[in-house]
Amino acid sequence: MGKLDGKIAAITGGTRSIGRGVAEAFLAEGASVVVNGRDQAKGEQAIAEMGGGDRLAFYAGDASKQATCEGIVDFAVERFGKLDIILLNSGGVLNTAPVSMMTDEEWQLEIDWNLNHVFWGMRKALQHMLPRDTGRILVTSSVEGKLGKPGIPGYAATKHAVNGLVKSAAREVGTTGITINAILPGLIETDIVRATGPQSAEMMGLPNYDAMLDLFAQESAIKKLNTVQQVGAVAVMLASDAARNFTGCMFPVDGGTMPY
Amino acid sequence: MGELTGRVAVISGGTRGIGRAIAEAYLRDDASVVISGRDAAKGATAIDEIRADLGVGDRVRFVQSDAAVRADCDRLIDETVGAFGRVDILVNNAGGSSNNAPVAELTDEALDNALHLNLWSTFWCSRKALAHMIPQQWGRIINISSLEGKVGKPGLAIYVTSKHAVNGLTKSMAHEVGTMGITVNALCPGAIETDMMKAEGGKAAESMGMAYDELLNWFAQESAIKRLNDVEDVALVASLLASEAGAGITGSLISIDGGSAPY
Repeated sequence: MGKLDGKIAAITGGTRSIGRGVAEAFLAEGASVVVNGRDQAKGEQAIAEMGGGDRLAFYAGDASKQATCEGIVDFAVERFGKLDIILLNSGGVLNTAPVSMMTDEEWQLEIDWNLNHVFWGMRKALQHMLPRDTGRILVTSSVEGKLGKPGIPGYAATKHAVNGLVKSAAREVGTTGITINAILPGLIETDIVRATGPQSAEMMGLPNYDAMLDLFAQESAIKKLNTVQQVGAVAVMLASDAARNFTGCMFPVDGGTMPY
Repeated sequence: MGELTGRVAVISGGTRGIGRAIAEAYLRDDASVVISGRDAAKGATAIDEIRADLGVGDRVRFVQSDAAVRADCDRLIDETVGAFGRVDILVNNAGGSSNNAPVAELTDEALDNALHLNLWSTFWCSRKALAHMIPQQWGRIINISSLEGKVGKPGLAIYVTSKHAVNGLTKSMAHEVGTMGITVNALCPGAIETDMMKAEGGKAAESMGMAYDELLNWFAQESAIKRLNDVEDVALVASLLASEAGAGITGSLISIDGGSAPY
């Protein structure tokens, strides 16, 4: 018997990296899952690889767009009849730059992708969950939601903002059956990090990509990076019925990086 | 096969309340578990109840031990290793405070006792357990701290001070043993209405200038959920931290407070 038997979950992003790890953990615990990504072909390939059968569906769309963040909720309800859990997970850095060199376009993109995406998805999910008086809203935040590194001001600012949004919304719905929590991983070497990492390293003033991985590892206590499986285990716990009394939490998965 | 098959856990003060809930969760995950307490008769009763409920036989043992006494802490770890051959998980759960008072009226003895029960006990048991965990390069230390390890309420200075200190010890230890396969975390619950809270809470409330019900209500109202947490909430996170997936979480002060702590 799984910890999420009969639950319906939606995950923005989710065809790869952290979102996919959580999707696989949710599937293993008996949930049905909608994953999302921009590319229909890649999405279909991903769900074929994940092997969730009828319990897994793909919803195509760009998570930096309002239509996608709201559409995934409608899609999950249409496909599976309800939505119990949403992980607002998509996000990242596209064009790393220090503040002095950052363009308005890049700044706006990070706000849309990392912050507005969470707001749009959360608002829509709440509108579905409040009448049912039950739900789990999870947000993939980051250690950079409490810290801040050179060269990623947009990422750090939007992840801080997301943490504020989670705390406020958690208090708004605290006496309902809905909980809202953020998970704050340290750096995990996902496909996205491999793709964008070299440029991030350059903007952070580091000699190369490996030096960036090492910087994150060295600031932790475990001196190594975290894994998607570790995030998956925390997500399953917070999504379960047993976690009904956890809300507004900034749950760390960072090997001891954050000072608070 | 459970998540903790082959693991040995020791839980100070595990005969009731939070420690008991964690002990039962670990037993359900197939660990071997030692619980401790000052009172041998209460310990024997707890063991009988747990064995009857869970059918775990000798997989659960009781060791009579006073957490505020160094020799007892050392012996608790020794007897755990004696009983089960190793120690993998230490839950520093014994704690509390008595003779709470506003600082202006506080006695030296009250502070000293709180430090012994909450801080020294955690230090003693951890030091002794690390001597086993470091050679085996695997371990989990879980300190039952409190929401009051992050914030402070009037009239509870000795409790608040000692739990803040436990949180500091947690962070330092986590960095010391971070590359050795050992994690060290603190769990920070809000008020939970355990037997101990029912027994001691009235006096704590008096020190805060209120009735017991008002104390409980204060904790509930500062949360987002407007109710108290329960012991199962703490056991849920303690299980996660003890598991293999817990390897990536260390030095953390994890809030189990329904959204009370600001960080």
